[in-house]
Amino acid sequence: MASDKELSDFLKSVEKRAFKRTVYAVRSDDAALDIVQEAMIKLAEKYADRPSAEWPLLFQRILSNATMDWFRREKVRNAVIQNLSDFEGADDDGDFDLLEMLNTLDGSLGTESALDTVSRTQILTAVESEVAELPARQREAFLLRYWEEFDVAEAAAVMGCSEGSVKTHCSRAVHALAKALRARGITL
Amino acid sequence: MNPRRRLPDLQAIEARLAARLGAGLTERAGQLPHDVNERLRAAREQALARAAEVRRTARRPQVAAEPAVVEITRGGAALAALGGGQGHGSARWWERAAAMLPLLVLVCGLLLIQRQAELEQVRAAAEVDVLLLADDLPPDAYSDPGFAEFLREPAP
Repeated sequence: MASDKELSDFLKSVEKRAFKRTVYAVRSDDAALDIVQEAMIKLAEKYADRPSAEWPLLFQRILSNATMDWFRREKVRNAVIQNLSDFEGADDDGDFDLLEMLNTLDGSLGTESALDTVSRTQILTAVESEVAELPARQREAFLLRYWEEFDVAEAAAVMGCSEGSVKTHCSRAVHALAKALRARGITL
Repeated sequence: MNPRRRLPDLQAIEARLAARLGAGLTERAGQLPHDVNERLRAAREQALARAAEVRRTARRPQVAAEPAVVEITRGGAALAALGGGQGHGSARWWERAAAMLPLLVLVCGLLLIQRQAELEQVRAAAEVDVLLLADDLPPDAYSDPGFAEFLREPAP
């Protein structure tokens, strides 16, 4: 059985990302804090005796369910999905070049000396705001894969969908983010 | 998207871009306001307290059950000794038998009480019959059709 210290360390390691991820979804700090707290308590109550290696997947699953429950409770889920899906329609990538965006990223986020602290903060805020604007499923897949660093199978297990869907969502999310950031005139 | 770019290249570019965006998000998540950090800490502590409480509750019934187990084990050991002190499996069998003993005594007691009650009823009915047969026959009895029929019937 895992110790209290292990559980504490685990919660400490995920709480900030869990909070931000929930804020992107519910767009309210207070609601996000409540949801994260609910997920933490549920994990502690039901799964504290499970091996600690299982916690990351369990916690993300609990968090996703808690977030969905929040939407159900608020009875705004449909409205939110509809609003976000308006954004999803932009599949006409045309000749948009992802590599070009990556090159600009190389020259900015990757190298601290290229930008001053203020513009860096602005860029990070923009990245965050565009992530929040992604359609819910794309955002979830993107964050699980590239922020929580789950593999495709794990992300699929958390999201309750196929691995192919996760890959599609991730790819669309990256393209949408790159395109939206470039449209903001961010050369990152 | 550049059509000349091959799929593996594209996936690699996507992964690199995504990793960089993820790093940006991580950096941003590290800059949470103090009050949010405090609330997260409080939530974590509450969760840990809950986990400890659940563990305590799960342990409590076990502790209560222990003396009973010890008693049964002792009884079983005594019976096993009476039966010649056989192996571990035999001791288990005796333990189970000893646990069933109170139930067996209860069932036997109930059967005994029922048998006693039946005998009491038969005894009471016999007493009434004896009294009736020993008593003088009232004259009205001869006018009773049932009694006349009884007299006509041959003795068994």
